[in-house]
Amino acid sequence: MKIRITAFLVVLLLAAFFPAGAHAIPAFSRMYQTSCTTCHLDFPKLNDFGKAFKDAGFKFPSDDETFIKVPPVMLGAAAQKEQFPRTVWPGVIPGMPPIGFRMNTFFQTTSRNRGNFDTLTPPGTVNPFIPRTDFSTGLFSIFTAGNFGSDIAFWVDDDISVAGENAAGGLGDGYLKFVNVGRLMKMPKDSLSLRVGRFELDLPFTQARTHNLSSYDIYDQANIGATNPAFAAQHNVNNVFTMADAANGIEFSGGHQYGGYHYSIAVVNQNTSGVSQADNESPFVPSSAGFAADSNFKDLYARLSYRFNLESDATSRNSVQAAGSTGPRDHTYLNLGSYYFYGRSVQRFSGQNLLGDPVVLTAREPFYRVGGDFSFNYRTFNLYGLFMFGHDNNLLPVDSAGFPVPLPISGVPSPTVGFIHSGPATFTGGFMQADYLVYPWMMAIMRWDAVNSGPDRLNGLAANLDTPFVLPFHQTRNRFTPGVQFLIHANIKAAFEYQIRPQQYVTIINNPITGLPAATQPFRTNTAVVSLDFVY
Amino acid sequence: MKLRYLLSLSIVTLMATQLCLAGSIKGKVTPGKSVVWVEAAPGAKPVAVDKHVIMDQKGLLFQPHVLVVQTGTTVDFLNSDKVAHNVFWPSISGDKKKSHNLGTWPTGQKKGFKFEEPGVVSLLCNVHPEMSGYIVVVPTPMFAETAADGEYTIANVPDGQYTVTAWHEGKKLQSQKVTVSGTATANFTLQ
Repeated sequence: MKIRITAFLVVLLLAAFFPAGAHAIPAFSRMYQTSCTTCHLDFPKLNDFGKAFKDAGFKFPSDDETFIKVPPVMLGAAAQKEQFPRTVWPGVIPGMPPIGFRMNTFFQTTSRNRGNFDTLTPPGTVNPFIPRTDFSTGLFSIFTAGNFGSDIAFWVDDDISVAGENAAGGLGDGYLKFVNVGRLMKMPKDSLSLRVGRFELDLPFTQARTHNLSSYDIYDQANIGATNPAFAAQHNVNNVFTMADAANGIEFSGGHQYGGYHYSIAVVNQNTSGVSQADNESPFVPSSAGFAADSNFKDLYARLSYRFNLESDATSRNSVQAAGSTGPRDHTYLNLGSYYFYGRSVQRFSGQNLLGDPVVLTAREPFYRVGGDFSFNYRTFNLYGLFMFGHDNNLLPVDSAGFPVPLPISGVPSPTVGFIHSGPATFTGGFMQADYLVYPWMMAIMRWDAVNSGPDRLNGLAANLDTPFVLPFHQTRNRFTPGVQFLIHANIKAAFEYQIRPQQYVTIINNPITGLPAATQPFRTNTAVVSLDFVY
Repeated sequence: MKLRYLLSLSIVTLMATQLCLAGSIKGKVTPGKSVVWVEAAPGAKPVAVDKHVIMDQKGLLFQPHVLVVQTGTTVDFLNSDKVAHNVFWPSISGDKKKSHNLGTWPTGQKKGFKFEEPGVVSLLCNVHPEMSGYIVVVPTPMFAETAADGEYTIANVPDGQYTVTAWHEGKKLQSQKVTVSGTATANFTLQ
């Protein structure tokens, strides 16, 4: 218990302090000899041209070859196509290695009440010391992206160091995208592309490449069912999947992000237990890489959105960028979208059959995440938000007499012989954010995150540290995050964020009326973070 | 026949005299590739012309990078790229009151602007901040763009006293007095 609490304290602070990864692509700056601001508003947030560049497979949407200042290397003359199939289909590689790097560093200040959690550990325990102020290192990541010709785009990013001091990083995204493959079937232009590999789901608003210092709470929300025996609600749900997780699989997509429709449908590995690829291996079925999935089932993700560009002039409205009176700019637009993720959370238990023989019992609990999103942009003001509803079916374990087995299931073998359906574990939440580009080099940000999870609240009252957010004072966790970001140069950014975090508690009393546990004396452990971030 | 012969002789003599009076200014500008021009006489109006020249935006570049025009010239800004561009200048020879933004126009179309006053116009595009170009508006027809090594010759300069000015990207303008009597030399080292 002591170790878990200590680990919890460390994780809590790390989660609060260290922001999500994000990338701008200096490799493209070199190749096209153009500024980061050609594609980014406040890197890595994309402007309309950047969205079109990404949609096109990391190319200029038209006449790409006329913009490339470093000619690509031909892997076979174009005329070799006439020799196919008696030759390898010719392609190209970028004329210089399209590699970029990113590094960031932080200064942070934490509330005085940061030591309140120490009271959770037994007297005499030496807890990690959380300094009031701290200089800390962030990540050092390498990334590469480009196009191999024939509309085959690639992307790989890897955090070489995460959270400093030679910490082991990991692969972010790594994929090939076959752009506009629909042309082979005479489909309308850009109506079908194919992406294969490891990628962030086509989320309404990216988290892997967000310009925020801290991640969106709802994207990090796993669904761990309530197991507090003091309350009637009991869930045998242990689904650690979050929407922020990178997915391994295949994705079909079409349309454009800068106007009109856009859709994507992805079939990806399921991994709801959180086992890592490196650890998911068998001594009997060798695999040098391990296995990324923890079940045979493949999850499904779908997204559909439509963006209404609101310029009155048709030519401007249908262009990649709007024609402003003083120069091209992002469109005034309203983007509406929805998304749906479906999977089957799998839990395997050591149990018994009706004869009392030990068997492995498998609970396959369908779950889904569904929601909608909007984004409204007027000149340099962007207001956007997202709502999500999470739902996990709940299969409670029962013994041979048909009585519920107390949770969490323990004992090997446990008395479990089967499962019965019970009330689902659900959560709702989302965020709303406003970005205002005061100057081309200065962005003011205001954000509100909210996650409403009954199971988290009940588990918190039992000090269950396995839940996504421990010790929440309310069932709804609100976080307010004002911030401001400055581009010192197009590739160097100073950012500030003040995280007014959800209320928590460490003191529990028994409600004299209900007799149930109740939290008292709430507090917020707020954090101010300043970061310096550069890419090159 | 005799009259026609005498007339021809007179014309040839006049032309020869004129050629003798029209000298030149030569010299070298360090560092290389610059623009040199003869200023208008004090109090005199710039010599205006009525012509159109093109400044292109192609491949995320202003082409040519430096365009020298005489006062009165209309520069037609052409967008030859398949991306949206903009043209603006924050000042003319440092005078911010002369800043101007031409706006946006589609691929293949152009927008003209007549430069009535001499000065150095620093062209920018507000969506591609790396794009840079210059229009040097000169007040007389006596100007030259130097070779890469900075050598230049301004021909057809009548004898007399002049102020000659040199400009190079990123350097301060520099002027000097020159007396032309046949030929004259004016070397510049711009800082």
